[in-house]
Amino acid sequence: MGRTLQFEIFRYNPMDPNSKPRMQTYYLEEKENMTLFLALNEIRETLDPSLQFDFVCRAAVCGSCAMVINGRPGLACKTKTKDLPDKITLHPLPVFKLIGDLSVDTGIWFRGVAKKIEAWVHTNKTFDPNALEERMDNELANQIFELDRCIECGCCIAACGTARMREDFLGAATINRIARFYIDPRDERSDQEYYEVIGTDEGVFGCMGLLGCEDVCPRNIPLLDQIGIIRRKMAIASTGGKVGRLFSVFAKKKK
Amino acid sequence: MSVDATVETYKGHRLAGWLDWLQMLTGLTLAVFIFAHMLFVGTVIFGANAFNWIASFFEKTYLAQIGGPILFFIFLLHGTLGARKMPFRTKEQKLIVRHAKMMHHRDTWFWVGQAVTGSILLVIAAIHMWTVLSDLPITAAKGAQEVQNTLWALFYVLLILCAGFHACIGLYRIGVKWGFITRATRAKALKCIYILMGIYAGGELILLLRFLSLKV
Amino acid sequence: MQTFYTDLLCIGGGLAGERVAVEAAQAGFDCIILSLVPPRRSHSCAAQGGMQAALGNCAMGEGDNPDIHFEDTVKGSDWGCDQEVARLFADTAPIVMRELAFWGVPWNRVVPGPATYFKGGQKFEVYEKEEKAGLITARAFGGTAKWRTCYTSDGTGHCVLYTLDSKVLELGVKIHDRVEALSLIHDGENCFGVVARSLRTGELLVYFAKAVLIATGGYGRLYKHTTNAVINQGTGLILALDTGIVPLGNMEAVQFHPTGIVPTDILVTEGCRGDGGTLLDKNGYRFMPDYEPEKAELASRDVVSRRMTEHMRKGFGVKSPYGEHLWLDIRHLGEKHITTKLREVYDICQNFLGINPVHELIPVRPTQHYSMGGVRTNKDGAAYGLKGLFAAGEAACWDLHGFNRLGGNSLAETVVAGRIVGAKIVEFLKGYEVDIKTQYATAEVKKQEERINELKSKQGRENVYQLRNEMQEIMMEKVGIFRNEKDLQEAVNRLQELLDRSKNLGLVSDGIGANPELAEALRLPGMIKVALCIAYGALQRKESRGAHYREDYPYRNDKEWLNRTLAYWEEGADLPTLKYEPASKVFYLPPGDRGYGEGKVIPKDDNTEEKE
Ligand SMILES: Cc1cc2nc3c(=O)[nH]c(=O)nc-3n(C[C@H](O)[C@H](O)[C@H](O)COP(=O)(O)OP(=O)(O)OC[C@H]3O[C@@H](n4cnc5c(N)ncnc54)[C@H](O)[C@@H]3O)c2cc1C
Ligand code: HEM
Ligand code: HEM
Ligand code: SF4
Ligand code: F3S
Ligand code: FES
Repeated sequence: MGRTLQFEIFRYNPMDPNSKPRMQTYYLEEKENMTLFLALNEIRETLDPSLQFDFVCRAAVCGSCAMVINGRPGLACKTKTKDLPDKITLHPLPVFKLIGDLSVDTGIWFRGVAKKIEAWVHTNKTFDPNALEERMDNELANQIFELDRCIECGCCIAACGTARMREDFLGAATINRIARFYIDPRDERSDQEYYEVIGTDEGVFGCMGLLGCEDVCPRNIPLLDQIGIIRRKMAIASTGGKVGRLFSVFAKKKK
Repeated sequence: MSVDATVETYKGHRLAGWLDWLQMLTGLTLAVFIFAHMLFVGTVIFGANAFNWIASFFEKTYLAQIGGPILFFIFLLHGTLGARKMPFRTKEQKLIVRHAKMMHHRDTWFWVGQAVTGSILLVIAAIHMWTVLSDLPITAAKGAQEVQNTLWALFYVLLILCAGFHACIGLYRIGVKWGFITRATRAKALKCIYILMGIYAGGELILLLRFLSLKV
Repeated sequence: MQTFYTDLLCIGGGLAGERVAVEAAQAGFDCIILSLVPPRRSHSCAAQGGMQAALGNCAMGEGDNPDIHFEDTVKGSDWGCDQEVARLFADTAPIVMRELAFWGVPWNRVVPGPATYFKGGQKFEVYEKEEKAGLITARAFGGTAKWRTCYTSDGTGHCVLYTLDSKVLELGVKIHDRVEALSLIHDGENCFGVVARSLRTGELLVYFAKAVLIATGGYGRLYKHTTNAVINQGTGLILALDTGIVPLGNMEAVQFHPTGIVPTDILVTEGCRGDGGTLLDKNGYRFMPDYEPEKAELASRDVVSRRMTEHMRKGFGVKSPYGEHLWLDIRHLGEKHITTKLREVYDICQNFLGINPVHELIPVRPTQHYSMGGVRTNKDGAAYGLKGLFAAGEAACWDLHGFNRLGGNSLAETVVAGRIVGAKIVEFLKGYEVDIKTQYATAEVKKQEERINELKSKQGRENVYQLRNEMQEIMMEKVGIFRNEKDLQEAVNRLQELLDRSKNLGLVSDGIGANPELAEALRLPGMIKVALCIAYGALQRKESRGAHYREDYPYRNDKEWLNRTLAYWEEGADLPTLKYEPASKVFYLPPGDRGYGEGKVIPKDDNTEEKE
């Protein structure tokens, strides 16, 4: 302990006509068990109350606090200062709209893509309050949960070169979200219907396998495994099943 | 979602999937070809005669005359498909490089490398194929003559490096993108790719040296 | 000024707010959700354990039914709850869980065959029935007779919230996130909407609605140490309190959890102790058996929290830069147990403390966790005092929990109340027309504008963060786990001082745009008022019931205090006005012994009339 940390923080307030994007330096004494959550709050309370950043759960479950920490997107609340060098550089996530300083608008972005892929269970059934629930294999429930664990923090989007070059790219989290509904038997969409929403160059075919997404995901979701599955399914769907039949044996095994 | 509307729009939509297939298959073909090509040209190790025999075999069976242009076409097709993914505007180029720097992330750099080598290949591989195919028959002597010219030697070194890197990383990327390489096997697959690159580089080096030592 | 019109305005996009919105949207009403953050980031997402519903599918839940759930809930509440509500809740919960399954929640399911479970660190085996295969299963939670807590691994809140949010998207409910409601627009009889502030731009916005729902969650951040999210500042309660006519119910009922980690106060589950973990002091001494020879670490939440505090007061706490704490020791459970059965605890220790609980001690202390109190409503979720105003979830005092809520009942409350209250709101909206009087909006906007301008003018001298920290410390030290006349009186006095000083707040920064200091300054006076409701209510309640423990009145006093506190804030006052109403209109389950805890009771004298 006893280090003095040097924070280089991106500053810009779009609502202030006098504000220009710049880096600002702050110094802070490191404390035991300090996280960036504690450090940033200390900076705000004692050094600069105008500093904007987002924390909600401060327990790595809500996805609010993603930022670029020494070059890599990550969750600030679970980043311990003792794992970082003396100099800590913080930027807001790229790709998303900047609200101010370290705060970006991930919420609207994720709602936008969720609408595009219609990220909800599509069914023609109606709920019967008097009936038992439909049975489901626990193993399948666990599989769905594994994919449902994404907290929409945006790290994977910010870490994706494709997303940075192409504004309309849906991103790994979105493809993973589709995978979640794809394996859920309650969603009655056909392959063709899924193709509609994800079988495009903005969707799964836009992914170039850069792997940034998977390497930064704080929830450790096997994103590329999911992208692979969806890519195969959608590629097969694009042939209207012709080439598909050849590959379907393999694809099924993988799933 | 109305079913009729789905069917309507779906047809026009299939293109993206088809193009992805094509990109993968053309890339794969080219990569496989590059290794086959190495083996074929590699016969020079056993002397000019072996090489010439193989070359004339290809010509007699018209594999060179027909296969060559077909490959050239595949090459162009692949290049065109690849180009859709490449950053053309300087803004995008800067972005992707800045991004790769920011992330200091291996796989992102790999892709940047692929885009760069791809662009170079578009020019030099085209020149190479043109010179070879427009001046049949293929003989060891011609090859040796070319390689022993310094400029051409440099040209071929560049071609070897670009093609090797681009093809090997391409194969790795196919594995990743299509989910054949999973999280569990990624490290191992990468090792295999490095070994493949090594084999390719080593093979090409030996063969180049052999060309250099060949008396014209 | 941007102005929006809608049928139902839900303030809050947590589980409660979204479930109500779904009900209204399904009935075809226009609905807007306001939230401080994107709805999926609401604090509901942090709940891991699960939600209670008497489905009785798993072996350990066999024979369960809503009657037993009802009884557990009433006992848990220490007879402080509204029994009609508890009844309604227990009956509806199973339907709601199934409905959530229908919408896509990946509930864990019954796996038939022999199954091994743990209880108190002891292994035992039961047989899960074939005929129940694939139905929603359940796990154990404190204070319940049966295993009845439905769950999705360790991400129940997350999965349910994401499912509801997807439903909200499907139904086209409009979501206005990063918007903070500042005050209600009303004429003393009807509620017309709210004045809000955009947390993107700092602009004021006006929302007009026929019905307004407060579903703003808990107020943990009034306390220095809380497991709650940083946005849980009780701002929704301020909306109600500021009207002067809508009361807050049972604000003195505050739940503490024994094991929040130090620093950051993140919750580690009760399962640690359940499986055999122990609590140690600064000398590495296991002290709980000295206080509670029988149950030791496994006494109820409130009891353990009290004993820990007592021990630290005696000087046995471990000093740290973040205040005193004790140790939780799970090392003896072994690596395998910790990395599988307590995986989430393992992760939290690694992520936030950088320690490995297999070899190291976990720093913990009792931490504020849940607020039983809130905007008082009737059993339809309609707030007292204003027509068109409703409340649901943790922000409401519907009153399911009385003076102590059971683990798993609060998450269930959000969706069950959401469904019931939502249906009542739909009923209310049908054919309802209200004459929106815009002059009240204009006046309210002006008031808020003046506050903002005054803060920006930098005339005030008081620092927002300093005042807030003082308030949090007072609440933690004086209105915490142990309460007594002297401390509470002191707390009330000092909070009143703070309230006075808060009129003199000044900004350090420029306050331009989405300035966080300005946002905090706008909230603070209201937060202090809510804190005063808690402190003053606790001072007046001269008994111990559930989580409210008075050292000077250690008995539950059914004779005089079988009632609910209602706190009103009259304009210009410096203390709330307290009124009382009977805890329940009907007593299906007459007051009795809970069967756990210290539980000394002064029984209700049946001959005397109920205290008003
Ligand atoms: C760590 C932890 C674990 C828990 N685990 C469990 C458990 O296992 N089982 C269980 O039953 N319970 C559990 N609980 C309790 C339970 O999670 C909460 O009681 C419940 O989620 C509250 O839901 P809600 O919808 O009422 O509020 P929240 O989910 O808190 O939502 C509040 C909403 O209101 C919005 N809001 C607030 N103020 C304003 C304003 N002024 N203007 C506009 N919007 C506003 C917020 O943005 C948010 O969207 C746990 C609690 C904690 C802290
Ligand atoms: C004409 C010049 C070329 C250009 C412009 C080019 C460009 C590209 C680009 C940009 C990609 C990445 C596409 C993506 O990630 O989606 C790519 C992939 C690939 N390239 Fe090339 N390339 C060229 C020539 C070659 C050659 C000569 C070979 C073989 C030696 C080859 C083999 C591959 C392979 C195997 C892939 C992976 C296929 C895939 O990702 O679907 N390319 N190419
Ligand atoms: C049908 C197409 C092709 C034919 C017939 C062909 C033939 C040859 C021949 C005969 C040589 C020996 C040297 C020479 O004669 O100049 C050679 C060398 C070489 N070719 Fe090709 N080639 C073809 C396509 C390609 C492509 C597409 C690439 C790479 C993208 C490539 C890369 C090389 C390299 C790197 C060398 C030099 C090293 C070596 O000798 O192996 N060739 N090629
Ligand atoms: S996939 Fe991972 S990185 Fe991407 S948004 Fe979800 S949790 Fe974040
Ligand atoms: S980084 Fe981007 S390109 Fe694909 S592999 Fe991940 S989404
Ligand atoms: S604050 Fe919730 S993930 Fe960091």
